[in-house]
Amino acid sequence: MTLNWTERIAAFSLSPSRFLSGTTAEAFLAELLRELRDDRASYSLKVLLLAPLCEHPTLLCLSDSVGEETALELMSVMAQCPPKSLQFRCQLLVAITCVLVCSSCAGARSQASLDFLSLLLETAGDPGELPGDGGQQRLRAGACACLRELEACCPGLLSPRLELLDGLRQRETSRLHQALAGVQSLALRNAVHQLGRETGAGAEELKALLGGNASDSWEEERGPATLTALTPGPTGSLPTLHTGPDCKELRSVLASLLEDSYLLTPPCQAALLLTLTEVVAMVPAVPPAIFRAQLLRLLGTSQVCLLHSTLLLKASFTDSLFGGEDEDFLLRRLLVLSQHPLLSPPDQLFYMDCILHFPENRPLSGGEGEEAPPVALTPRLAAALLPTLLNDGHTLLARVKLLALLYLEEGEGGGPEGGPEGGQEGGGGPAHLYQLLASLLDVAEAGGGGRETVVTSFRAAFLFLLYFGHVRRFSGRLTARLCRLYMRRPQLAPHLINLADRVQERTPAPDWTPELLRAVQRAVTEAPLARLTLADFSRHLQVLARVAEEGGVCQQPTLAFLARVVTPSSSSLCGGGGWRLGAAVLAVCRRLLVHPDLDSLLAPLSHTLRHLAGHYGDTDVQDHARLYHALLTTVSRQKLAGVLAAGAAEDRRQLKQRSLSCLVAESEELTSALTVHRLEESVCRLTEAGAEPGEAGADQGEAGADQGEAGADQGGGGEAAGARQASPSEAEAALDAYRAQFREPDFSSHITLRYTLTHTEAPPPGFDRLYSIRLHFGLTDQHYEALGDVSVPRLFRGRPPPAVRLRLRPRRPGATTLLASALFTAQDGRTWHAALPPLPVAFQQSFLPLPAPGGWGPARRLALFRGLWGDMSAPGGGGALSLFCCPLTGAALSALVDKHLARFLVSDPSHADESKAAIFLPPKSHVLLRIRPERDASHFDIATDNWELLPPLNSYLLTITSSQEGGGS
Amino acid sequence: MSVRALWIISQEKGENVTIRFSRRFSTVEHRAKSLAGSSYVAVPDESTFLQLLLTELGLSDPSKPYVAARDDCLYRPRSPALELCVDGPGKGALWPVLTISQGPLILACVPLVNAPPEPRPPLSSLLSVSQGLTLLAGIQTFLLGPGSKPDNEGLVARLGMMPSVLLQVCPLGTPLDVPLTGAPSSPAVPTSTGTQKQPAWKTGLHRGRAAVNVALVETVRTMQYGNQSRQDLWDVFGTVTCKCEVEGVLPNVTVTLSLPPNGSPLQDILVHPCVTSLDSSILTASSVDNYDGSSFSGPYKFPFSPPLEPFRLCSYTSQVPVPPILGSYQLKEEENQLRVSVALKLHESVKNSFEYCDAHLPFFNRAQMGVVDVKVSSGQLDVSKEKNLLVWALGQKFPKSREVTMEGKIVFSGPTPGPSDPLCTQLTAYIKLYFKVPDMTLSGCCVDQHSVQVYSSAKPRIVTSRELQSKEYFIWNSTGTAPVSSGQMML
Repeated sequence: MTLNWTERIAAFSLSPSRFLSGTTAEAFLAELLRELRDDRASYSLKVLLLAPLCEHPTLLCLSDSVGEETALELMSVMAQCPPKSLQFRCQLLVAITCVLVCSSCAGARSQASLDFLSLLLETAGDPGELPGDGGQQRLRAGACACLRELEACCPGLLSPRLELLDGLRQRETSRLHQALAGVQSLALRNAVHQLGRETGAGAEELKALLGGNASDSWEEERGPATLTALTPGPTGSLPTLHTGPDCKELRSVLASLLEDSYLLTPPCQAALLLTLTEVVAMVPAVPPAIFRAQLLRLLGTSQVCLLHSTLLLKASFTDSLFGGEDEDFLLRRLLVLSQHPLLSPPDQLFYMDCILHFPENRPLSGGEGEEAPPVALTPRLAAALLPTLLNDGHTLLARVKLLALLYLEEGEGGGPEGGPEGGQEGGGGPAHLYQLLASLLDVAEAGGGGRETVVTSFRAAFLFLLYFGHVRRFSGRLTARLCRLYMRRPQLAPHLINLADRVQERTPAPDWTPELLRAVQRAVTEAPLARLTLADFSRHLQVLARVAEEGGVCQQPTLAFLARVVTPSSSSLCGGGGWRLGAAVLAVCRRLLVHPDLDSLLAPLSHTLRHLAGHYGDTDVQDHARLYHALLTTVSRQKLAGVLAAGAAEDRRQLKQRSLSCLVAESEELTSALTVHRLEESVCRLTEAGAEPGEAGADQGEAGADQGEAGADQGGGGEAAGARQASPSEAEAALDAYRAQFREPDFSSHITLRYTLTHTEAPPPGFDRLYSIRLHFGLTDQHYEALGDVSVPRLFRGRPPPAVRLRLRPRRPGATTLLASALFTAQDGRTWHAALPPLPVAFQQSFLPLPAPGGWGPARRLALFRGLWGDMSAPGGGGALSLFCCPLTGAALSALVDKHLARFLVSDPSHADESKAAIFLPPKSHVLLRIRPERDASHFDIATDNWELLPPLNSYLLTITSSQEGGGS
Repeated sequence: MSVRALWIISQEKGENVTIRFSRRFSTVEHRAKSLAGSSYVAVPDESTFLQLLLTELGLSDPSKPYVAARDDCLYRPRSPALELCVDGPGKGALWPVLTISQGPLILACVPLVNAPPEPRPPLSSLLSVSQGLTLLAGIQTFLLGPGSKPDNEGLVARLGMMPSVLLQVCPLGTPLDVPLTGAPSSPAVPTSTGTQKQPAWKTGLHRGRAAVNVALVETVRTMQYGNQSRQDLWDVFGTVTCKCEVEGVLPNVTVTLSLPPNGSPLQDILVHPCVTSLDSSILTASSVDNYDGSSFSGPYKFPFSPPLEPFRLCSYTSQVPVPPILGSYQLKEEENQLRVSVALKLHESVKNSFEYCDAHLPFFNRAQMGVVDVKVSSGQLDVSKEKNLLVWALGQKFPKSREVTMEGKIVFSGPTPGPSDPLCTQLTAYIKLYFKVPDMTLSGCCVDQHSVQVYSSAKPRIVTSRELQSKEYFIWNSTGTAPVSSGQMML
């Protein structure tokens, strides 16, 4: 059972959430409490059982009330526990504190927490039966620690007990006085803080507080203080308590605490000093000189926390406690400590941090929290911190940073140059640092250093560039150095790329990165291929890919290098044709595809891609090369950039660069950019355009032109007269000439429909501007030949809609419905496909005037009309005659004819009361109408060479006549 | 002034990493939450924490040559306070995470930031940071023992004691003390009667014979290059360790260090917290500048009230004119062999009486040694079993001439490669001297037995001692490039 509990508790601490997913918090808590009450369980086990309650009380006590109950339970366990099981009782006090604090019971001053507070105070003050009882002392110390924590979490809780605590501490001669001093000083600080925030509080209130006269009403008057309200903010945000010059009581308490401070352990002493520093800072009546007696032993201390509290004292009281000499001394001390052989590296580094935030009496820069070396720190003093290769990485970097800041401050950044590299450089702090960096890179280059040295070198290089990157003589040399390092150890490619990126992002010398990359590119591309190993080659490709991202770097050398490499004659590197290598080559090509100088790279890049596509040993690589080649040759520059740059956000670039499967990731991206996305809603539609006068002639094609000429012919009186006597033979001749035209296969075989492309009323957002629209049409029956696609350059909302002309080639005349869809690029650069509303084509839309040869006058047309009529009405000619009657007469009839049939009229001067209309329906059908009024109706005599047209014609005539009737009446 | 959580992690060069002990202080976490408000970042669970910590320490994925999160060149002050990106990069970060590591142990804790979280306060404004460092160092010493030699069984036993140790030194996250490293040897009575307050750092009272032991150890370090263009460097630091068995709650003891008439002043004096007061003139001399306000050169009086256990009373540094042993080391690469030539000279001011004196000549980044044909003028030469190190035992005395030499050839023809070293490639090589000279100091500093004053009823037995020892005593091959940069090396 014990073993089981040990394992369970261990599992709980490892991952409380996972453990609780197997049970419930309530059940586990109940089990713990049951076991804690179980007399058979050993106390060592019970100590273990308290661990979850101490470490994660909020996970077990899900509400404040559960917390309260649990605390009560634990207190009853405490009451029943025999005095000798000391460790358990101490741990129990800790557990109850944790439960009460974390469940907010203590903050709300619940009954249980008040009971517990009484228990703690009682325990802390109970000296036990035997004087010097070690066990009792430990329990009391535990109770004091709990009191201190309660006061820290619920400030002001112990304010009414200050006098009691002071009395206990004064009387205590055992080691326990330390614990009591801790509680008392914190309670004092919190009480003074709270008084300081009250308007009008002063000496009287403070006196009452210290004299124990504030006991009962203290909290009721003020209410519990919150923790955040009591946090000291940036310097000076502590409140001030004005007490007048006389505050004997406070002074005597402080003096007594300070007097005994020597007797405390260093951590407690440091905490006490800081707490009292804050108290004195809040009460101007107490002079900071009260600390002076402690300073001499503190200034010489070897303890990091004690010296730290001294620095905090200095930060609070500056020259009212520390003169100029003290300041110099402290600074020297920090310099000594930050490289003292007896101190551990973390302590040294901490001291270095203290130098950069040194609390100066008269700081020059006002920047709170800003890192800056103090004014008194000179390069000569700081020479003690010159880094060496023997320093560990952290120390080395911290020193480089501190010195770099110092040299910049001292204006040494651009100072006179020291001697040549490698020699003994005289003067010039940055030169020293550069020399160190160079030695460090030497070590990395020699390869003995392992990863840590490499990482440290690159970090040092970054730091150096951060501060001295603007100094040409250093940055240029560093470029050459790094280049050499890389060529010796190409496995450092990721480090080099990372450095290039970081310098570009973060330092004031972003020009350095292209310079470095250019140099590395030169080194890589000019190195003899023969000595290049496969592994180094793939690293070079990584670097070249990064180089290719740099717009300012000429990419010709890279392409020349790639061309040499992919051509098997000059190198065997690509002969193996591994996927990984191919992918790396493609990664370079891909970046070149979006390079701003792509125009000048077209030929070599296309050459390389073609070669890869044709000869590379891996099919996937071939495919990709082919894709890139296709993109390069077919997609416009803008579109290519859009496609390839899509999603190339910073973090993703990082990912892609490192990712072995960058091509896979890329394919997905390309897929997204190149795929046509389907849009469920319609974005645009075609609307039938009214016949615009300007366009009419042009659009009607041959037919329109004929009519125009017909009009011109009407002026020729001679021929017009001849037409009246059109004879059957003339009619036959006209018919023959007319029919001869149809021997040409494409003669007058299509109709043109005009539309405008407009947005639908409520398209989805993001589609107000459409580009490169390609309209595609589908057929729903066999009446027409398939249509070609129509391109529209753009459609912008708010601009005049573009016109669209459709040329339909009927197989046989008739109405139909066209299916339409559009493929276009939206504002986001992606390509979309959306259906348009179906497009009905009415029967009458396929009507054309007779395609009589150009130059025919009205007479010949009339002759043709007669010829056709005769032909159709001849028995066995395959034609059909029909009659349509409607009640329209007179003006109504004329209006109808003018409106619907004007295009088709054939003038016949001999029958003025009769209108003749000849309609051609491509490909080769005709409908002839003779319209004449009879008494109270009109007769439409119909002749056609295609009897199938009669039903649709009939319904068409019905439609137009009935609408005319409605309009007329 | 508190810590939120504490971890003890063991590892072997980044492998077999396990959390051996951890403790979360829920009330401190409660405070952290209400202090930080919306910028609160909770301490993650064990495995997440471990992974993030190892990445930040550069120990994760030891087999991968480059991991972006681990090896980024972007400089962040990584030590002593790390920042763990708990919620991914750019989001909430757990800060500051203090770590110290020694041998197989990594210790970490998260101090409470007792100040407004934005803008991030400097480390030096948070007392909890130095408190945390003190706590971690104390736990480290407790776990590894003073010798810092990892002894697995002892470590397991002491890890088992951690819960009860923490209950005493840091029950609720606020460090009260550091763990005691060992029980005091003399019987201690934990009682205190009378009116004098017992120091909290004193676990009990000594009863029995009074004795005071004061040991002064001076350590000398050097970098000798044998090169005109490089200045040889050396420094000396001394520590005074006391063990006082004196009766009384707060007995007074004074130890006085004195220098010979022309001795250079002791610098950079650091004292144990039990020292009750210091004359300010003692502290003025500093190694970082040669400015010396007074020509104070002792005597250096240290009044203190001793704790029960042995403790380091004070430490100092000193400027001495010459290093005790001057050496020259020359290597020449000749076809398959290396020609070695060494000369060591003991300075006349140094007592020619060693407890031991050994010179180690390691050879890194080469094959194992095959034929070793080397003659020494004095002492005894051994080849280590790993065949990559020559050990030249010079014994207790240099010859009368105070000079010893080594000449010869080494062929590196062993079947397996020897050990590697980051710095020692090609002709970059060194000799490291290990020696101890009893009853002498380079600075001339000494503790006179009669100068130790104990104000106590019983007359104590007083023992004082002094010795000189070497540490990091390097003599670099003058024909290779020594890994140095300009400026002072150390103090």
